[in-house]
Amino acid sequence: MSDPIQDLRDLHALVVHPRDRSADELMQQVNRIGCNFDHFWPLPKTLPEKFDLVFIDVTDQSAHNLKSFIASSSKSPCIVAIIGYENPSVLNLIFEIDAHSVLMKPVRAAGVLSCMLMARRFQQEQLSFKKDLTKLREKLENMQKVNDAKFILMRHRGITEREAYDLIRRQAMAKRTTTTEIAQSILNAESILSNMGST
Amino acid sequence: MKTWKVGLLFSETGATSIIERSQLHGALLAIDQINARGGVLGRPIEPVRYDPASVVTRYGELAEKLIVEDKISVIFGCYMSSSRKEVLPVVERRNALFFYPTLYEGFEYSPNVIYGGACPNQNSVPLANYLMNSFGKRIFFVGSDYIYPRESNRVMRNVLRQGGGEVTGEVYFGLHANADDFASVVDEIMQVKPDAIFSTVVGQSCIEFYKAYHAAGGNGRICPIASLTTNEGEIDAIGCEASAGHITAAPYFRTINSPANRRFLKAYEQKFGSTVDVTSCCEAAYSQVYMFARALEETGEIDTECLREALLGASFDAPQGQIKIDPDNNHTYLQSRIAKVDDNGEFVIEFKVRRSIKPDPYLVYPAIHDWSFRTMKVAGGESRHE
Repeated sequence: MSDPIQDLRDLHALVVHPRDRSADELMQQVNRIGCNFDHFWPLPKTLPEKFDLVFIDVTDQSAHNLKSFIASSSKSPCIVAIIGYENPSVLNLIFEIDAHSVLMKPVRAAGVLSCMLMARRFQQEQLSFKKDLTKLREKLENMQKVNDAKFILMRHRGITEREAYDLIRRQAMAKRTTTTEIAQSILNAESILSNMGST
Repeated sequence: MKTWKVGLLFSETGATSIIERSQLHGALLAIDQINARGGVLGRPIEPVRYDPASVVTRYGELAEKLIVEDKISVIFGCYMSSSRKEVLPVVERRNALFFYPTLYEGFEYSPNVIYGGACPNQNSVPLANYLMNSFGKRIFFVGSDYIYPRESNRVMRNVLRQGGGEVTGEVYFGLHANADDFASVVDEIMQVKPDAIFSTVVGQSCIEFYKAYHAAGGNGRICPIASLTTNEGEIDAIGCEASAGHITAAPYFRTINSPANRRFLKAYEQKFGSTVDVTSCCEAAYSQVYMFARALEETGEIDTECLREALLGASFDAPQGQIKIDPDNNHTYLQSRIAKVDDNGEFVIEFKVRRSIKPDPYLVYPAIHDWSFRTMKVAGGESRHE
């Protein structure tokens, strides 16, 4: 994971907020921190790819519009919600749009930096957890396939589990492919053969 | 007669009183000079001063007292970051204007504060360059244990690393550390034999540290203690013998030979009898009072919003040279100089940066090769043509 503090000045930030005192305070502070930034208002339909971090005023916005705006960038940027009220419906909204951090209005300079960093870190962590989870899920599926294939071989040939696995592995090496591929072929063949038997 | 009342919050007793008294004097001198010329719009500036006695929590309480009881909304004060952090919420809540004439570690902005001292980008980078070029790449860190030394050391470590340098040790001490406390670290320094020592020890213990180093055989001409905070006042207390050869980086030194500085020193001597305690923080306090008075002349009233508007972007011919308040961040464009203590206990300016440096309080990793930090050699202490 990259260091959010070190990468701070490489960030491209976007402020989606009506042009008022809060927006000015926020943009000046983002400028002091040394990030590139742009300002949009009203909420546009799509979010350009280049933005890594987006501050969004969520007051009087529908969750649907916000979500479709955020989802329009394939980069999954870091989201900081700017809220005017702390009531349960607003808090629900920030959960719904998966905001990574929150700033309260009126925005003041102190706290913006920490807020950006916490949001970045949270988002990076989420991304890396997601990646790990996908990897683990795939691995688990593959293991399941190889296991199933082993049992098919054991049944058909009357061999031990160890021998069945060696057989799959040798096939994979000979055909220059993975054990999962071989296992998949065995499973496919088995399902075709058993279907033939039943007709 | 109606006056413009301003608050002064500098400790006249306690651990950081040497430096804060010098800041107080700088502010008082400026007020005197302005009043001698008829004040601001015909009314004199009246200083109301309290002594927080170097006790951190007192600063916040006394700031509150100045604002609430004395009805003052312009305050000059503070040396240590921890004391500034006490005053900050008070001036923000009451919307007062606070002038902070001290170098600090950066990473702060308040619309209610005008920062008159250097941030790390304005002095750490030039100092690191100078140390590595002139002495070598193995640097030992000694600091007081609070936020400024820790953050300064982080910046220094980064700059050193970029230049291929090495931190050979890093030790922190309490604010009241004495010679006995420093004995073990001085022993360690003698054994490790670094090329230079970077000290962020402040206040009374700074004097103790330099003396302890000297007593153990440390020689500033061979392995100097380099600092951003050790100034004329402390060198005077350390004595010529123990301070010779040591190095400080700052925007201002007493030995600057310019008409503005000569006038400043002459007036200071007339008022306080001697200039031994004139320091960069004293000069910053002096300049900040002047900048406030200029702004007040423009606004005609003590109103935080109006004064801030008048101050942002304002420049002033300070004793150090021209300075300017950066409208982007309320900090100040400052000169950057590196000076070495000579045998008579005076700073001799060896290098300076050509132009005043823009403050960048949110700079996480200063780049060592940034051209704006390049220093030029100063012949004969400081150019005579300024």
